[in-house]
Amino acid sequence: MKNRPDKKNKKQEKVKTFKGAGLRSQNIPQPGHSQHKWRNIRWAILLFFNFLFFASFFFDIQILEGSLSGSRLLGFHLIDPLAAFQVILSSKIIMVNLIIGVATIALIYLMFGGRSFCAWICPYHWLAELGEKIHQILKKKKIIKSHTFDRKIRYYLYGFFIILALITGYTVFETINPVAIISRFIVYGPSLMLLWAMALLVSEILYSRRAWCRYFCPVSVSYQLMGLISPLRIKWDKKNCSNCKRCQSVCLVPHVLTDSINLGKSEYVNASDCTRCGLCVDICDDEALSYGVKYLDNLI
Amino acid sequence: MTEKENKRSISRRKFLKTSTLVVAGSAIAYGAVSVPLLRKDRLLLRPPGALDEDIFLASCIKCGQCLQVCPPQVIKLAGISQGFGIGTPYIIPRAGGCILCSGLPCVLACPTGALAHELSLGKDAEMGLAVISHPDTCLSIRGVNDLVYRLENLQKKKTSSPDQTELKDILASLIKRLTDDEKKAWQNRFSLLEISDKTLLTILTQLKNSDLKWIINFAGSSSQAQKACQICLEECPIKDEKTIVFVTRTHPDTGQDYLWPSVRKTCVGCGVCEEKCPTPVASVTITPRLEWSEKQAGNQTRKNKKT
Repeated sequence: MKNRPDKKNKKQEKVKTFKGAGLRSQNIPQPGHSQHKWRNIRWAILLFFNFLFFASFFFDIQILEGSLSGSRLLGFHLIDPLAAFQVILSSKIIMVNLIIGVATIALIYLMFGGRSFCAWICPYHWLAELGEKIHQILKKKKIIKSHTFDRKIRYYLYGFFIILALITGYTVFETINPVAIISRFIVYGPSLMLLWAMALLVSEILYSRRAWCRYFCPVSVSYQLMGLISPLRIKWDKKNCSNCKRCQSVCLVPHVLTDSINLGKSEYVNASDCTRCGLCVDICDDEALSYGVKYLDNLI
Repeated sequence: MTEKENKRSISRRKFLKTSTLVVAGSAIAYGAVSVPLLRKDRLLLRPPGALDEDIFLASCIKCGQCLQVCPPQVIKLAGISQGFGIGTPYIIPRAGGCILCSGLPCVLACPTGALAHELSLGKDAEMGLAVISHPDTCLSIRGVNDLVYRLENLQKKKTSSPDQTELKDILASLIKRLTDDEKKAWQNRFSLLEISDKTLLTILTQLKNSDLKWIINFAGSSSQAQKACQICLEECPIKDEKTIVFVTRTHPDTGQDYLWPSVRKTCVGCGVCEEKCPTPVASVTITPRLEWSEKQAGNQTRKNKKT
């Protein structure tokens, strides 16, 4: 506690050097976490739900049956929108259960913020987060270089696999979907396809930081659509912000912060990409970032 | 010059990036489509109610909920070695056949209707058909009693004490077939008041290898146990109608009579017969998605003539 004011002064000095030094990523200081509150809560929830998938089958407690592509929460259908979309297009049959499952998922993620699925539920995201740590260490020691891709690839892949499902009459993406593969691994045990998911993880550790989640994963696109309207967002307090940009250094999708914070457009992080992971909230020393509900905050 | 070089290196980098992406993308797409197609001819036995293979593969969401609710837990999820349809459910009949349990929970659990919800009774399922694929080993055709066969196999193993689970299985089915007089013979031999499943355990603990010979002789001479193997019919989950009829036929060369297990139209291909078949390689196997016809029955006769 004694050291704390000193530390803060130091940080403010640091901040001064960075203030107005530039908008883009080359000037972002390296991350150094001061607290892990939201990350710990998030990891606990992520692991809890994936354990619930596992336990529902293994211990036969039947609370959350199935895997991430399709499951039943206490009897209510939950179905991954992309998987459902592919099934409808490939089989050319519209099943009521599919619509119910997707509607329930849409309702849940409209409440809890769209791509929050990625950060709070997806098991691949968790593995990738651990992989990201290794990647950052390797990068710091200059063993590897990080590469970037175009973020729009995700949308192209979404369209590509939807069309492929329509043409081939087969849910092609579901055979290579690492999210579903890992989810099935958790519930039903290992299969050879796990090697593909692991290869993906290793390649993103060695070549490009968080490549799958950032640039490629089409599963997240449908959740992103829900994130477009979901009121649960990261709130940005302009007065407190010292513009240190440390939030951007930890963010999975840094452009969501550059767009709103640097340009000062809005009180909220409005980009639909935002996974609501809370890493930026954790790292912010100025108390400028917090969780908020877009329309409700003003009313209260 | 430097600017030009710079531009060139940027465009080269861009080219490398896009080309690797295109190559990787097309490799994935090619692999996903072609590799499984190579093995498409090898059909898997699907859970009851499965739609036609093509439309089944299109509509299965690979969630595994059918597997979770399966009471005998015989449904498995296909891996990459099963080819087309990674993550789709299938049954290995030799490891455990579908018991057509009442209510068909797997069908009810399916969120996409890949297992069609129209199916409500196990006997209406169309999973495949049992085929006598190895008539040369079939105990019924060879006129061998299954109990004697299994007991002799146990004896051949020459261990100090026989395999308890296998022996218990054999004795349980033997006792079911005994007449009252024969039961008395057992009571005398093992000095018991009655013969039932409960006393079976006490018999089991007493048994030594030397006793096996007595049981084999007994099984061989017993009137009920003397009959040739009919395990496939006895274990069949469809009890209302006969799925397998044992037809007496005469061998064209030797002129000897034998019993041919003839698969009837009522067979749904659940796979229990293949699971329970006592021969080392199942004599009766399931051909998935095969439909019954008189012609196939004819084929079976032709196959048989070779033996």
